[in-house]
Amino acid sequence: MHRRRSWTAAVIGLAIALLGWSVYAQPKEVEVGLIAPMSGPWARQGQVMKTAADLAIAAINAQGGIKSMGGARLKLVVSDAGDSVEKAKNAAQRMVAESPNLVAATGAYLSSFTLAVTEVTERAALPVVTFSYSDLITARGFKYVFQTSATGDQQAEGSLPALMEMAQATTGRAPKTIGIVMDNTAASVAFVKPIKDHQLRKLGLQLVVDEVFTPPLANATPLIQKVRARRPDILLLLPTAIPDAKLLLEKMNEFGLGKGRLPTVSNGAAILDPDLRRNMNVAQVEGVMSVVANWPTVSQKAFVSEVQQKTREPWPTQHFVTTYGDMWIFKAALEAAGKADRAAVADALRRMDLRDGAARFFPGGRVKFDASGRREGAGLLIVQWQNGVPVTVYPPGDAVATPAWPKR
Amino acid sequence: MRREILPILVFGLLYAGLAALVTHSYYQLILTVVPIWAAMGLAWNVLSGYSGFVSFGHAAFFGLGAYFVALTQIAWNLTPWFGIPAAGLVGALAGLIVGIPTFRLRGHYFALAMLAYPLALMYVFEWLGYQELALPMQRDAPLAYMQFDDHRAYTWLATGLMVFAMLLTARIERSRFGLSLIAIKEDEAAAEAAGVHARRWKLRAITLSGALAGIAGGLYAVVLLVVTPPAVFGMLVSAQALIVAMFGGVATIWGPVIGALVLVPLSEILHAQLADKIPGIQGVVYGLAIIAVILVAPEGVVWKWRARRRGGAEEKPVEDRSIPSSEPVRPDTRQAPVIFEARDLSKSFGGLQAVRSVSLQVRQGEILGVIGPNGAGKTTLFNLLNGFVAPDAGSILLEGRDVTGSSPPQLCAAGIGRTFQVARPFRRMSLLDNVIVAAWLHERSEASARALALEALVLVGLGAYVRRTAGALSNKQLRLLEIARALAARPRILLLDETMAGLTATEVEELMTLVRTLAARGLTIVIIEHTMQAMVRLVDRFVVLDGGAVLTEGEPARVTRDPAVIDAYLGRRWRLANA
Repeated sequence: MHRRRSWTAAVIGLAIALLGWSVYAQPKEVEVGLIAPMSGPWARQGQVMKTAADLAIAAINAQGGIKSMGGARLKLVVSDAGDSVEKAKNAAQRMVAESPNLVAATGAYLSSFTLAVTEVTERAALPVVTFSYSDLITARGFKYVFQTSATGDQQAEGSLPALMEMAQATTGRAPKTIGIVMDNTAASVAFVKPIKDHQLRKLGLQLVVDEVFTPPLANATPLIQKVRARRPDILLLLPTAIPDAKLLLEKMNEFGLGKGRLPTVSNGAAILDPDLRRNMNVAQVEGVMSVVANWPTVSQKAFVSEVQQKTREPWPTQHFVTTYGDMWIFKAALEAAGKADRAAVADALRRMDLRDGAARFFPGGRVKFDASGRREGAGLLIVQWQNGVPVTVYPPGDAVATPAWPKR
Repeated sequence: MRREILPILVFGLLYAGLAALVTHSYYQLILTVVPIWAAMGLAWNVLSGYSGFVSFGHAAFFGLGAYFVALTQIAWNLTPWFGIPAAGLVGALAGLIVGIPTFRLRGHYFALAMLAYPLALMYVFEWLGYQELALPMQRDAPLAYMQFDDHRAYTWLATGLMVFAMLLTARIERSRFGLSLIAIKEDEAAAEAAGVHARRWKLRAITLSGALAGIAGGLYAVVLLVVTPPAVFGMLVSAQALIVAMFGGVATIWGPVIGALVLVPLSEILHAQLADKIPGIQGVVYGLAIIAVILVAPEGVVWKWRARRRGGAEEKPVEDRSIPSSEPVRPDTRQAPVIFEARDLSKSFGGLQAVRSVSLQVRQGEILGVIGPNGAGKTTLFNLLNGFVAPDAGSILLEGRDVTGSSPPQLCAAGIGRTFQVARPFRRMSLLDNVIVAAWLHERSEASARALALEALVLVGLGAYVRRTAGALSNKQLRLLEIARALAARPRILLLDETMAGLTATEVEELMTLVRTLAARGLTIVIIEHTMQAMVRLVDRFVVLDGGAVLTEGEPARVTRDPAVIDAYLGRRWRLANA
């Protein structure tokens, strides 16, 4: 008995000694968080975000980590937001409780998850940088949330003017007529509301096709027949589900409206996802455009090829680019703060005004947050499928290629 | 009932005490969510557990409660201290509105219709533009808005709600309310015949259930701080309520609580431990765990435990110790006044005329036998007399008052009791509870209902078995139980539907003695029977039905000699043998 006790003591002593030594010997680590759906229907997007964060952190650490902190290395802590608001909130609470050394985090993909997650992180004074669109995220008077994307309202307001500008610049004449084919989901309805409210009048556009369907779409023929009969200058095509998008695009091709013959514009990154190539003939997506809040721009050519080499992603999507950029925002904030401290990092984020480095990964090329936490000058990009790859075509300063817009 | 209160309070205090010791904010959150889901499971249990009307749509009430609290705080700055109780009213109202049309459906159709409400509401709230609501952070007066720095306060609130729901369930379970619901679950028609206003009780249950779910939803909104249609109206919410109750034990106080205590943390632990290794595996393990438990304990953990503790004693058939009482003396009823009368009753089912213009009179205190070959319309006649079926034509008079078209519980209350051709006891209830259900019809207190039920059981000779469950009874005992149940509603007329079918000769004698005893106590009895010999000795008068119409009526001696009767019912050979 006695001998066993002394043995135990010796082993524990040794363990403590080893642990102490290893802590002492390792370069200092700074924890940053990623909270995103790693399981459930949105797991794929969570995985994309994790791949991006890993890639960025590897690059940052390879460059010598956080220099103002003696080369401290970044370490990613991943939390699974799951498939419901409740799980997302639980995950955030666990992240906050079990990783007290976390200095900042990014997430949480869906706006509703981000809203719940930031309710927790705000109370824990943990700064969160997010790409979710909802206006509500930065309308609650929170002090620890920073939104890098254009908000939902900004996107709805900004999309049509951006499109008009691009059409004018490309073809030399402004479109006169517009058609809208949309499903009746919340996202589509919210996107179209300001357009119908006042923008059509303001921009002098005539609405010649206005069709709403309830997903799932069974037959796209009557919808596309109307589009062909009226032949609008621009078609806003707003399906939310991929099967509906597939049905509509296939029918447009069948009716000779595909491949950019009729300028077709969607919203969000769903229609630009690499998964689409597996589900449909990519030639039929050719020419389709979408208005998004982030995408690889001309300044990121090297980054894109690095992603293609180092990961299995065919191209970085908006969540990839943004999460990658977020890690660089954290690095910049930590450099400025000089210590692994939430309050100091939050303070650095509030004071931040970057025009290079991390700023390269955000449209507008500047990372500066206003008092509410919104990124100033967060603009929109127009992305178009060209030769089987979605590329940024607008604004000209960010464009990788020139937009294909039929000059008829 | 007192017996159940103490453990609930002790459990509540223990849980709250445990919560006080936890400082880890994540565990605090889990400790808060568990009682909310327990309360939600209890809410589901009040309706679906006790009445058997399975709801796949309790998210409707939960979601309305959550949105009510969120919207009133956002729009009017209303505090949840007021909003959550008001959310209970919203849930109650929603329950009533949903219940009125939906209780026209039964079984799977009810369950499916319930499924539709939250799905519809989800779209409505999305259409209204409430995709994402956040409860505003109150920096000035957080306590006034239920926003605590110390998260244990949420756990205590949730525990309070859970204990409240448990006490409410305990109160329901032992009351007329709970017994009536269980009776409805066991056999709605039999319950109605025993005087239970099924529709009224079901509406009360869904209203109360909706109120509890609304309160749970309101508190959930305060804890989660974010309300989205899928989070509160989603299929998962309805499923969670159902699963915790099913897992722990349907129609019990502790079942939903045990279900929530096990499943909610289990799901979270799996999520926390496995999700980063194999994303999604937590759902698989969780599902398998539920399947395993349901295979082992199909009715939930609590029932399994109860069955084991009783050691299967319940299953043994009850030994028969009923003693036939001595032959009673009955007055002559030939001149007694008519108290119950059918005039020209007719009923067709499609092309089949089951009852054709039947008129009959029942005299106070007599035993009237209704006989006729198979398909003569005897049981249909009873169904008309006790209100199960509405007549196409004709009227029913009780002591001169027209009661045509009254519902079974109304007729039962008016004094018409009945038994069934195939016995329909509430199989999982004790004999005493079986009878108490009916005793409540005229009694106002639990004690008097109990006394009345005991009296009825003793009268029929089942006094020794009042605690046994009805499922273990023999055929004769089931018939006696049905008679006791009918007696507890204090009928003046008792309709006995083939009470002696399938009994041995000795048993028939015992029952006949009982029927005579009842008649001697002033009860009027109408009995349908096939056992001719017994009937001839039992009844004062016969009414013979054939092909849905009255063939003849009169005293047994005369009727059994009537050639038309013998030919139609007993056959020529019987006539020749007895000529």
